[in-house]
Amino acid sequence: MNGATDRARPRCMPAAARLAHGLAPALGLLATLSAASAWALPMASQGSVMVMAERSPDERELAANFALTARDALGGAVGRWHEPMGHGSAMRAHEREYAALTYTRLLRRWNLPHAQANLWFVGMLGEVRAHALPGTRTLWSPALLADYETTRIYFGAGIEPMRARGLRHDTVYARAGFSFYQAEYDEMQPWFILQAKRTRWGMDAKSELTPMLRVIHRRFFFELGGNDNGAQVNLMLSY
Amino acid sequence: MKTSTRVMPHLFTRNSCALLIAGLLALASAGAQADPGTVKLQINGMVCAFCAQGIEKRLTKMPEIGPLYINLAQKVVAIEPKAGLRIDVEKVRTEITDAGYDVVKIETVPKTVAAIRAEMKARK
Repeated sequence: MNGATDRARPRCMPAAARLAHGLAPALGLLATLSAASAWALPMASQGSVMVMAERSPDERELAANFALTARDALGGAVGRWHEPMGHGSAMRAHEREYAALTYTRLLRRWNLPHAQANLWFVGMLGEVRAHALPGTRTLWSPALLADYETTRIYFGAGIEPMRARGLRHDTVYARAGFSFYQAEYDEMQPWFILQAKRTRWGMDAKSELTPMLRVIHRRFFFELGGNDNGAQVNLMLSY
Repeated sequence: MKTSTRVMPHLFTRNSCALLIAGLLALASAGAQADPGTVKLQINGMVCAFCAQGIEKRLTKMPEIGPLYINLAQKVVAIEPKAGLRIDVEKVRTEITDAGYDVVKIETVPKTVAAIRAEMKARK
């Protein structure tokens, strides 16, 4: 989804064990990609195209938008998520597929002497198909994202409710991180990001903590993370 | 002595004037060549590569802009005009403001972008 969409399965494990278990597969193969997206900026500069891709065992999404102005971008997204239903041995995953138009708006920006803060709206309107339910349903999502960053630290947070008749997929997340060193504009800059996220589908909910390595180089943004649910990779390019 | 006294001041005046004018012309010419007309801007809100590349994209579209240098740590953008052209600083300010950033200081410096880059990297 354009903006921030993190997904995970509910598990109860000690935090240290979760971290170790999650990082091991994350540092291994990238064959299984998982989505954990809370973009540094959900749109690029005016006249630019931004393409975002996420993949995980539970979710997939491909999105793109075009910045019509310095504050507005129009785009689209297609995706799929698996929604756990039931408990224990009766647990199943119901699949939802969606296609939607997106609108991103920079509501407010603060340009400070050593920082920048932003407030974003990301709206989505489209259709979702739920395999356990007949036909398609109108899907809508008004998301609010906020971020604050300097050249060395980053904070982000978001609320993303996603609704359709009989369906609910709400996400709330917070992110914090730091850069390992000050980098020049034309240098690659690595960051450590820690994300806390809570997702709700209907009456079920889950929380997860995900450490991530983020690398930014000009128009290229890459994140690799992991937790007990698996590896998470996000990729973003702007043109 | 009297003769030389009468002759010397006359010669001194003509030749000296000619030399002085030639010298001033040479200095002026040399000065003009040494000042590339580089503009240095200090910008608030430019904290990441994504921010900066939007500014770079806008400025490089301007036909008079030649070499460009961005320093995120110092919040500085330095732009040098192409040979024979001049940078309109108010136009540059408008481009950066329209891109969503605040220009807090503009100055013209008698240095090339390459020299500014070298100087800032040496400061690190």
